[in-house]
Amino acid sequence: MTKKLLPLVIMTLLSATSYAATPPDTLVVAQGLDDIVSLDPAEANELSSIQTVPSLYERLVQPDRENPEKINPVLADSWQADAAAKTLTIKLKSDAKFASGNPLRADDVIFSYTRAVTMNKSPAFILNVLGWQADNIASQLKKVDDHTVQLHWTADVSPAVALNILSTPIASIVDEKLVSANVKDNDFGNAWLKMHSAGSGAFKMRVYQPHQAIVLDANPTSPGGAPKVKNIIIKNVPDPASRRLLIEQGDADVARDLGADQISALTGKKGIEVLSIPSAEQNYLVFNAGNSANPLLNNPAFWEASRWLVDYDGITKNLLKGQYFVHQSFLPVGLPGALEDNPFKFDPAKAKEILAKAGIKDAHFTLDVENKPPFITIAQSMQASFAQGGVKVDLLPAAGSQVYARVRAKQHQAAIRLWIPDYFDAHSNASAFAYNDGKSSTVAGLNGWQIPELSKATLAAVAEPDAAKRLDLYKNMQQELQHKSPYIFVDQGKTQIVVRDNVKGYQQGLNADMVWYDRVTK
Amino acid sequence: MPAISPRLTRAFQALLTLALTLLGLLLVTFSLSAFSPVDRVLQIVGDHASQSTYDQVRHQLGLDQPLPVQFWHYLLNLFHGDLGTASSTGQPVLQDLLSAFPATLELATLALVIGTVFGVIAGVLCARFAGSPWDLAVRTFTLLGNSVPIFWLGLLMLALFYARLQWSAGPGRLDDIYQYTVTPQTGFALIDTWLSGDREAFKNAISHLILPVLLLAYYSMASITRLTRSACLGEMNKEYILLARAKGAGEMTILLRHVLPNIRGTLLTVVALAYTGMLEGAVLTETVFSWPGIGRYLTTALFAGDTTAIMGGTLVIGVCFVLINNLTDLLVRLTDPRVH
Repeated sequence: MTKKLLPLVIMTLLSATSYAATPPDTLVVAQGLDDIVSLDPAEANELSSIQTVPSLYERLVQPDRENPEKINPVLADSWQADAAAKTLTIKLKSDAKFASGNPLRADDVIFSYTRAVTMNKSPAFILNVLGWQADNIASQLKKVDDHTVQLHWTADVSPAVALNILSTPIASIVDEKLVSANVKDNDFGNAWLKMHSAGSGAFKMRVYQPHQAIVLDANPTSPGGAPKVKNIIIKNVPDPASRRLLIEQGDADVARDLGADQISALTGKKGIEVLSIPSAEQNYLVFNAGNSANPLLNNPAFWEASRWLVDYDGITKNLLKGQYFVHQSFLPVGLPGALEDNPFKFDPAKAKEILAKAGIKDAHFTLDVENKPPFITIAQSMQASFAQGGVKVDLLPAAGSQVYARVRAKQHQAAIRLWIPDYFDAHSNASAFAYNDGKSSTVAGLNGWQIPELSKATLAAVAEPDAAKRLDLYKNMQQELQHKSPYIFVDQGKTQIVVRDNVKGYQQGLNADMVWYDRVTK
Repeated sequence: MPAISPRLTRAFQALLTLALTLLGLLLVTFSLSAFSPVDRVLQIVGDHASQSTYDQVRHQLGLDQPLPVQFWHYLLNLFHGDLGTASSTGQPVLQDLLSAFPATLELATLALVIGTVFGVIAGVLCARFAGSPWDLAVRTFTLLGNSVPIFWLGLLMLALFYARLQWSAGPGRLDDIYQYTVTPQTGFALIDTWLSGDREAFKNAISHLILPVLLLAYYSMASITRLTRSACLGEMNKEYILLARAKGAGEMTILLRHVLPNIRGTLLTVVALAYTGMLEGAVLTETVFSWPGIGRYLTTALFAGDTTAIMGGTLVIGVCFVLINNLTDLLVRLTDPRVH
């Protein structure tokens, strides 16, 4: 028995020191950080880095926190748009400074956009929407004076869309003087910015240890205002069960990415608050209309019948336990122009009728799906519900990257995928689902859906300068896709964040980058 | 031509075997990564990126080259001490490994010491009282250690000792208050906190180490106890033991003075195997306890399809494995006159 008792004795001796709450002026966030590739704003494109970059950097304009449809000036003081000339003339805040103490200049703006486009890292496609490419970017950005910059773009895009694009993390303004001092082999300071920060955000990076932690210090001179806490420690806690224990014990103030079971175990616990925030994430089922191995996949009657074979309520309420809600159009609720009605429900009799009318017998298809919740959960529910309509579904579960790779190679018959808008504008989703020029790897393109008319409509909508008219165009497109497309939009997510009840002022919005720690107090 | 001394020849042969083993290891790892269906480029750029970005990253990773060329470039860089840059951290693999390895080494070494001491004692006692309730109880206890999933046991320990009883610290190597005040000098939490002179930080490091160390010790103890017991029992039927018994020696004396020294070869091998096992495979323990060691580093790299990091990690583990095995052989040869 001695060997069982000894550890207990040692632990009892240590018990006085081992239990510690988080330091008073430091916010401790427990989440998984293993997805981070880079914290350079021109390269950051993964969930954890996209959530961190806005604390370190500011953009010229950013969506309003309460009402994200409205764009607010942040580093810009004011702007003048010329839709016909496709220009924005932007006056910068004259007293704005970076965390280094360097003043904000027009050169910083030009440098930031130039490096983002020239380096052509993963999020560069967002700036490419403006027609900005490595070979033309120099001619698109003009310094008017030290505090005024004129931006020009070549694509047929309205100034409102241009502003939305400039409000994304890749359009963050970096401190040109500081970054230039750390350039190696003409890398625009990319290697240095992976581990350091050079922005004007509410925080600056003290240290980043990949797969371990990101430690941020307050930047009291931030143009957006000084933050209320002095430091943030974002810890990598890869196991969700360990994250739950940390928040329960008070060793973390905020915990992200907990599973449905952990959330329900924590709900109602003393000292803990569960925040449920709508997110723009959507799950959809798509048929590869370009896959000739199975002619059903290009049959609109089969698409229609399938819409009645998904158990929307069962998936969202029973299986995903309230972490998602039913949503059946391609713009998420909360994004301007989103269609909120859900015309389809699980009705196998109706589906059978449609299939019989179209003469479809012994329907079957294979379904590529990522082998983790919520995807596999949705797929299993679909396998059962489609069977009730006489449609046989063979699941092909695999790791996420394998599913991507198969879809990219157009080898799939059907797949369950996730979509998160890349910028806060309807065009981000429309250009994916309703645009196929035969070259770009849009969702429509990867699924071989030939839509010359819809593609034209998508281009017309993004060029439309009248805001109300533009939203109407998107509503029409959503209606069309809801009824006549190879996509079945199943649900929209809710981000569930667990915070200790002394943590006040935490804000998070619809899009992945809308995470704000600056008003947090504890 | 002067004759080469046999010792030198043996050393040269050993080095050649080592080099060939490592080359084989690298080749297998490289082939496994190369033929896996994971698209490394997509892992890095995500599935929204443009085709030009995709092609650019593919080129940077050298994936547009034929496989033998990729492997040859890797070997060339390796000879220059360059293990490449890990795409999942953006840092040189060598630097990543140097920061992750001490964490694992600290955990595994402490666990091995505890596991060996308790394992050998328990094994000897089991052999002494074979068939008794004590024997049965210890064997059941160790069987559990070998059969219960380690991550589940780890979570249970955290739930009980950290969350409920609050006796020990939670996941991680240090509490947040100490994490960034203690300067890492050696990478070993115990040594760094000791050097910093902050006694509270040192206590905190011990408190964080206790649960994962005990868990791994329990796991290694399971096999050490069972093998010690069966080696002892096997030895106890031999004639020299019968003679000792006939001469009136007590059972404990026989075990400690005659049996134990004679099974040291087996013991050393078992302990060495347990050590290498912990160095390479404490992945689940490291995940549950958020321990930034080599097991976690490799798993993350595997999920990210980061071949450079996987190959670097495999190489380091392979070197450890070969070194520990050779050292054990040497120790056995030095201590056991029967093996020559």
